[in-house]
Amino acid sequence: MSDQQQKTGIGRRAILKATAVAAGTGLALDLFGGKAEAAEPRAKRPLPRKWDETWDVVVVGSGFAGLAAAAEAAKAGARVTVLEKMPVYGGNSIINGGEYNAWTDELRLREKLKLPDDSKELHGNDTLKGGDYYGDPKLVEILCRESPKALDWMIDEGGLQLREILNRTGGHTAYRTHTCKEGVGRGYTEAERKIAEKAGAKIRLNHEITWIWRADVDGPVLGVEVKARGKKLQLKVTRGLVLASGGFSRDVKMRMAFNPSLVASYNCTNHPGATGETLRFAQAIGADSLHLAFIQLYPYAEPETGILDAPAVYPFRGPGYGILYVDRKGKRFVNELERRDVVSRAEINTGMKPTYSIFNARMAPLMGGTKEEIDAGISKGRFVKADTIEELAGKLGLPADALRETVATHNRYIREKKDPDFAKPITDRMLPLEEGPFYGIAQWPAVHHTMGGLRIDEQARVIDIWGNPIPKFFAAGEITGGIHGANRLGGNAGPDAVVFGRIAGRSAAGVNPAA
Amino acid sequence: MNALVALAALALVAAAPPRPSAPAGSCKQCHPSWTVLPKDHPAVKGTTLAACLGCHKPAADAKPDAFSARLHRAHRAPEADCTVCHTLSRGRFGLAGGKKPLGTLAEGDAPLRRAATSWAGSALLDATHAKADVSCAGCHASELPETGAFVASERCLACHGPADALAKATEPAVHPDRNPHRSHLGEIDCTACHHAHAASENYCLNCHPKFEMKQLPGAPR
Repeated sequence: MSDQQQKTGIGRRAILKATAVAAGTGLALDLFGGKAEAAEPRAKRPLPRKWDETWDVVVVGSGFAGLAAAAEAAKAGARVTVLEKMPVYGGNSIINGGEYNAWTDELRLREKLKLPDDSKELHGNDTLKGGDYYGDPKLVEILCRESPKALDWMIDEGGLQLREILNRTGGHTAYRTHTCKEGVGRGYTEAERKIAEKAGAKIRLNHEITWIWRADVDGPVLGVEVKARGKKLQLKVTRGLVLASGGFSRDVKMRMAFNPSLVASYNCTNHPGATGETLRFAQAIGADSLHLAFIQLYPYAEPETGILDAPAVYPFRGPGYGILYVDRKGKRFVNELERRDVVSRAEINTGMKPTYSIFNARMAPLMGGTKEEIDAGISKGRFVKADTIEELAGKLGLPADALRETVATHNRYIREKKDPDFAKPITDRMLPLEEGPFYGIAQWPAVHHTMGGLRIDEQARVIDIWGNPIPKFFAAGEITGGIHGANRLGGNAGPDAVVFGRIAGRSAAGVNPAA
Repeated sequence: MNALVALAALALVAAAPPRPSAPAGSCKQCHPSWTVLPKDHPAVKGTTLAACLGCHKPAADAKPDAFSARLHRAHRAPEADCTVCHTLSRGRFGLAGGKKPLGTLAEGDAPLRRAATSWAGSALLDATHAKADVSCAGCHASELPETGAFVASERCLACHGPADALAKATEPAVHPDRNPHRSHLGEIDCTACHHAHAASENYCLNCHPKFEMKQLPGAPR
């Protein structure tokens, strides 16, 4: 960093007490001065002389968390505006895989499908363990307790529809991963948008915040500066500002500042707006952050582009029903029920890109696969279909003998309920790959989710570097940190964002967030 | 009175240098006689803008408006100035010789001049609309748009819709679900991709760089 950048990096924070700021944003200092920040203010920033607009609650971001916050704040009677920097709403949420963990639901899917018991405690234990116990147990407890209610809320008030299946996915000990009818996050965001707009909240696209206003380190957040289609606006916030602007997986500079191994050549599943400037604005006014080095790779992205399309969700959904992962030698390389971080590392450690998931037609409907999705995936060359394992091996370019042997061995493990190779906990829901047609799909890790972010408390209040809540400042969803710990379990992002989004919305509106 | 409509008249053909003796809003400033009118043009009573506006008054409807577009298009030339027909002083936008302003240009007249020049002859979608006789009001109705204003999709669909037909028209033969007008994002704003006064862009390509998509009208060549 140049002297000049260092100077401006400190100068812009002159609104705060110098010592406080240096302590709080030491890590962030390295990030200023880059291309992404070129438009960010660099000089001392006096508070705006006048406000262009005044709102009770301003929500930044229109994904799962932002829409939930907007809906609850508006329902509580607040005048709410939702600022979305992109030209379409929904962020990463609208392109997510459509998966949502809840240990129960009003449809009683688990009972209907005669699946083993589940509870909020089990979900909580899995979540904490899956994150190597870095997650805050209090926040995890809230996530798991409230997740089914948030799901029911989207069904009842937003018209959300679910596929009649439940999956046991990596790192989970129960079949609790729901899939919406659409098989893509839009199913949830559309439900939430409906609720939020009905309550009176309005989404404004192409509105990007460029600063958060706070007069001093003891005072409340006052408002935000916004760039809206080339125009600068100052928005005053009277009740609360909710940051729900997502993670920073697409911010190569920022992710490498915390995890230098995640170089630019890694693919990324995220939309282009998933950058970290909002988080830095919060740090600049004294917000605490944690776990920023914990960045997840999605193990099953499309190998060439890193896209998480509809077929790329199948490998994630499949382990509870016996899906098989093999490397290019046709051999297993990991316990398929492992967490995303473990599977991703195992894939990279094969030293051979890509790896493959193998499943058959009998498994597909159980894990929520549809004929339309599979046919479309085949026509695009994403799924490969074959009547025999040998034929599949030929089409995938794998050694047929090795694949046949791997499948036969795995089938035996499933029948014997014991996996001596990788210690997969075999359940009686898992099927052997006996009859065709068989399907194969290539997969490879891509940067997916940033577990770290702003420190919040049980009321979704943003905590400052001294451990105190910053007045009128709230956050929810991927921009927050400390819930998932070192690794987020698949299907937990939705519940995290919707549950804490709702809490943040109620807190910001000034009503009891627990009510 | 509709404000925006007339704004494209920034460029008047200066067939002759303006004659200060003619009153503001008089066509005689440039056209001492009416010989410039097409042969079959109906007879015109009077020599001011008011005489033209009897027929050429722009409408705020979302549809082609040949009379307005033709009048504005015919008066464009690089050296001509909109102030021959319009008043732009002190941020007030009106008709020369008119009694009251049609609207206020909060940001001065530069953006309006820029947009109107682009409409009259750029490679962007605004010029495409000009050729199809859609002038400013066709998209912006009677608003004088400021920076940050945008056109709601309903306005576009009034001519280009209905949405289902539009989606049908762009449905790829091979992978019908790769349809920009019926995508996994659901209903999105037309302006996510289509910009009138700036280069249009395929939003899909941000995440799907390998998709082979047609070059959009108004996209950089």
